[in-house]
Amino acid sequence: MESHRQEGILFGVVWIILSALGEWAARIVIRHNPLYYTASNIGLMVEHAFDFIVVVLIPVFAFVALGIVWAMIRFHVKKGQRVELPTQWARTNRWFVGIWVVGTALINILFVLHPTTTATEHFFAIENPSTPQNRHALVVDVTARQWEWIFSYPQYGLTQTVNRNGQDLLELPVNHVVKLELRSYDPFHTYDQYADVIHSFWVPSWGIKEDVIPGETRTLYITPTRITSYAQNPMSRVQCAEVCGPGHPWMEAPLQVVSTAAFHRWIAQQQALQAHP
Amino acid sequence: MAQVVSAPAPAPQARRAQWPPVLRGFLWAAIGFVVLNTIVDIVDPFRGHPFVTGPSATLGWVGAVVGWLLGVGVWEGVALPLFGYPSRWIEPSTGWRRYFAYSTDHKVIGLQYLGSAMGGFLIAGLIAMFMRIELMSDHLTIFHYPTNYLTAVGIHGTIMMFSVANVALLGGFGNYMVPIMIGARGTAFPKLSGISAWLVPAGILSVLFSPLLGAWTTGWRGYQPLASQDPNGILFYYLGVAALTTSTFIVALNMVTTIMFRRAPGMTWGRLPLFAWGQVTVGLLVLIWIPEIQATFVMGLLEKLVPFNFFTATGSVLSYLELFWIFGHPEVYIIAVPVFALWNEIIPVMSQKSLFAREWAVIGLVFVMLLSGLVWAHHLFTNMRNSEILPFAFFTEMISIPTGFAYMAAIGTMWKGRVRLTTPMLLVLMSMFNFLIGGLTGVFLADPVVNLQLHDTFWVVGHFHYTVIGSIVFTGLAAVYYWLPKMSGRMYSEFWGKFLAITLFIFFNATFSQFFLLGLHGMNRWVPAYPAYLQPMNFEVSIISFFLGLAFAGQFVHIIWAWVKGPKAADNPWDARTPEWFTASPPPRENFPVQPEIVSSLYIYGAQQPVAVQLPAEEELAAARDESLEPEGGSPHE
Amino acid sequence: MDNDSKETPEEVSASASPEWSRRQFLGGTVALGVVGAVALLGRSTVVDAARGIFGSPVRSGRVPLYAYDYYYVPNYMTWRVGDRMDIIFQNQSHTHWHEWTMGRHVNEQYFQAFGELSADAWRVDFWDGVPVTLSDPYKIDNFVPHDALVTYEGPRSLYNIQSGGDFSPTLKPGGSLHIAFTVPNKPGIWDFGCFVQEYVHYRTGMRGKVHILPA
Repeated sequence: MESHRQEGILFGVVWIILSALGEWAARIVIRHNPLYYTASNIGLMVEHAFDFIVVVLIPVFAFVALGIVWAMIRFHVKKGQRVELPTQWARTNRWFVGIWVVGTALINILFVLHPTTTATEHFFAIENPSTPQNRHALVVDVTARQWEWIFSYPQYGLTQTVNRNGQDLLELPVNHVVKLELRSYDPFHTYDQYADVIHSFWVPSWGIKEDVIPGETRTLYITPTRITSYAQNPMSRVQCAEVCGPGHPWMEAPLQVVSTAAFHRWIAQQQALQAHP
Repeated sequence: MAQVVSAPAPAPQARRAQWPPVLRGFLWAAIGFVVLNTIVDIVDPFRGHPFVTGPSATLGWVGAVVGWLLGVGVWEGVALPLFGYPSRWIEPSTGWRRYFAYSTDHKVIGLQYLGSAMGGFLIAGLIAMFMRIELMSDHLTIFHYPTNYLTAVGIHGTIMMFSVANVALLGGFGNYMVPIMIGARGTAFPKLSGISAWLVPAGILSVLFSPLLGAWTTGWRGYQPLASQDPNGILFYYLGVAALTTSTFIVALNMVTTIMFRRAPGMTWGRLPLFAWGQVTVGLLVLIWIPEIQATFVMGLLEKLVPFNFFTATGSVLSYLELFWIFGHPEVYIIAVPVFALWNEIIPVMSQKSLFAREWAVIGLVFVMLLSGLVWAHHLFTNMRNSEILPFAFFTEMISIPTGFAYMAAIGTMWKGRVRLTTPMLLVLMSMFNFLIGGLTGVFLADPVVNLQLHDTFWVVGHFHYTVIGSIVFTGLAAVYYWLPKMSGRMYSEFWGKFLAITLFIFFNATFSQFFLLGLHGMNRWVPAYPAYLQPMNFEVSIISFFLGLAFAGQFVHIIWAWVKGPKAADNPWDARTPEWFTASPPPRENFPVQPEIVSSLYIYGAQQPVAVQLPAEEELAAARDESLEPEGGSPHE
Repeated sequence: MDNDSKETPEEVSASASPEWSRRQFLGGTVALGVVGAVALLGRSTVVDAARGIFGSPVRSGRVPLYAYDYYYVPNYMTWRVGDRMDIIFQNQSHTHWHEWTMGRHVNEQYFQAFGELSADAWRVDFWDGVPVTLSDPYKIDNFVPHDALVTYEGPRSLYNIQSGGDFSPTLKPGGSLHIAFTVPNKPGIWDFGCFVQEYVHYRTGMRGKVHILPA
């Protein structure tokens, strides 16, 4: 019994040291943003939730991994050593089992409460259509068809915004709430409304992905928090994330987030383009 | 134990040498396909395609599978006797030929399943290598068209899931080991089981050759409505998977029934080996969920063939994905539960220590099974209404608690034990480590807001390769090494076993750990072309993955070498206590010379523990006497 | 009981049934494996080789051309200059519209790229200056005559004539169109393909070749 306790204490000390080292390494990772690049309010929320889970999981990982390695180092039978068995092995240990069961339950309840419930509720609050800032959001209709993203700005009368090469472009002002109306259908071929499939609207740097289902309209409120563009960081792109047929890899569109003034200049230019194609 | 059809000894010279059953199976399959295909063409001609159309290929496939099964021996073994015709089918009880024909011996069937799983693994693994070659560059290279790449992804996933992960530990080790481990001398449904083993190659080949009917782009889910837009190749996906899942269903039926009704005297539920417990729980999962997914696939097939608009006009676009994942998540535990059971099967033996907290280990298996049906929608956080997210996030996080019990039992068992770091033990520990990473990265995915970013990225790909390869492949290899002396009577090389295991572990982790970073950096799934900034890391991952492929190949070479040429093994090389080690290696036709009895717990080790498995001595003597009266190698042992 | 059955591959039980041949089994399986691998990976090579050896019959008169998702049947034709052609172009897809364009030199670079690049169509349009008669329009999505000399039978509104791009009849699912013409004096190999939906149909193999023999 005494040797068990000593072994347990030694294990505990090593576990605490490893966990501390792990947390120190995690600090560095978290400072450099494990999500690489975050450019929206939802992205920041995802980043915080991610960081929190990392911090809690490091001691868990250290405990189990150390348990495995410990057995390999401390308890293994050396070559040629005679295996002598005691008459009776301990078949359970109330403390170990109790701490394990209660501990894993507590960690899981913690995760359910935070970040799962708190962040999801925060997300719901962001997505609540009746808040004042959401009611004054910039509306962009995002239409997914095989294999193209089409962006239109009904408040400005723009039906399809494009860049110099004639490719679809999503351009938005920074720090302003945007309401994205996501639909999956083909505006140019409306004879079969069931012809299209599920797509998924994803901007990697925004930390959000929402599937676009034929026959449904999904709404996404989001605030870009950084001026960014595909050229500046390729994570700033609209990318289809759900396989949707052979064109799936190329179903992407560049994203530009600009200052409010630049956005209005761009709107004027697009309006001129639409009037005189 | 008259579970096998009895056949009178024929006059050998009267028969001409027959075709090898497998070749006859292929011939009859081809005939079956052509006949039914032609009939459909006559009834339902279709413009554009002169011969093979969707409906004709579907019914032709049914003919092919029936022809294949009859050809490999079901004709003589089952069909003729069933209709009262005399059959001179004789099942060889030794020799390699019995593995290449219909058989009713659960050990032969088990090895047929293992062989099919290994074949499927090699095929799907080779396809994965092609995928990694493609991903070395950001544009299409070796795959001409994106559809070809997407088809490769689908074939890789389908074969790996339905014919490797579902087959190796259930059909393979389940069929081979479970009856012996519970002291039974046969299984409950030997003929059905013999037929079902041959559905696996049929299913693998259907999926593998599906591109002959056209590329399909849906990945392993075969999801509608996209599947309806694909050419007819998707039909062979649905049909091949139907064959594979039917096989898994029959395995579960056979295992659950065998464990319920054919346990040896004294083999109480409280003494039941953990691996058998794993088979029961998984068997129940299979019996519940496989019919569900088969019904879904039938709907998918009809949607494509008719079409019915089940998933568009008359139904909802999301129904297919809901129906798929309501099976799809239990599927993960269909894979993982026997793995947890095997950890706690091998670890007490290798530690020579009583299994720690056995009741918690069993509770863990049972609760994983129960909760697994409540978590499916976490695959759909991006699809579903926001208001539906939280309950699924809750159950998803909760399922890690019973999963953790397997770790608790394993770590508790090793604590202060006499841990022998043999190859199987090493692979089990590696498997625990890999699955730990798979589980912990799953915590991020279970969290809804984090999931909205990570869903459909390479993070998910990394996560499920850690859980699936980390569990089933590492532990499956551990099981092969652990039971190799039992199945073949031969021993592997401890040096090569360990060397290859460590190599595999290093390259596996070096490959798939980077998938998490790729996912975080914006690499999405199902793309043969991607933005250039992701190319350097993909290139490097590909290079490492080729070494991973070599490491797997090395394992198989070593295992085959040991099976054929390895040194003779002792009867019970690990000093194990479970019944399979108390018979000859390899076990005789009916596993034990006489019905064994279980007299004490199988997992309690100690200096003065009695041997748990007793073979009544006088009956054994009597059996030996009877046998000596039989002519040498005479009639089969029914 | 063969308790001592340490089997070796050569050892067979003294069972009375005749053994099937090992050589036949191995040979047969390997042969099937080779056939399977060729069928799966080498179909186009085999077809090309067969075409090289046996040639391809010259088609003229009424020729059906089916569009599926995403391929044509046939995807290789041989025509002769001066022959009268009646192409019945038929879209067999349930869900997708398909077009038929023919020309030479397409910017393949674009199909490989990711990000911002502008696409272009055929650099040379086969139909430039070719007299074509269109008839029996059914479920026409749109039709671009480009520089062809088109005669329309029936009301023009059924053709939904538009401008921009190459000569391209585009059919709705289930649609069909009769395209009649005399093969112009443009011998050589011509490519045809379907460029709809951001060129993805073409990118994923909806293409074919016409070999035009001199008169």
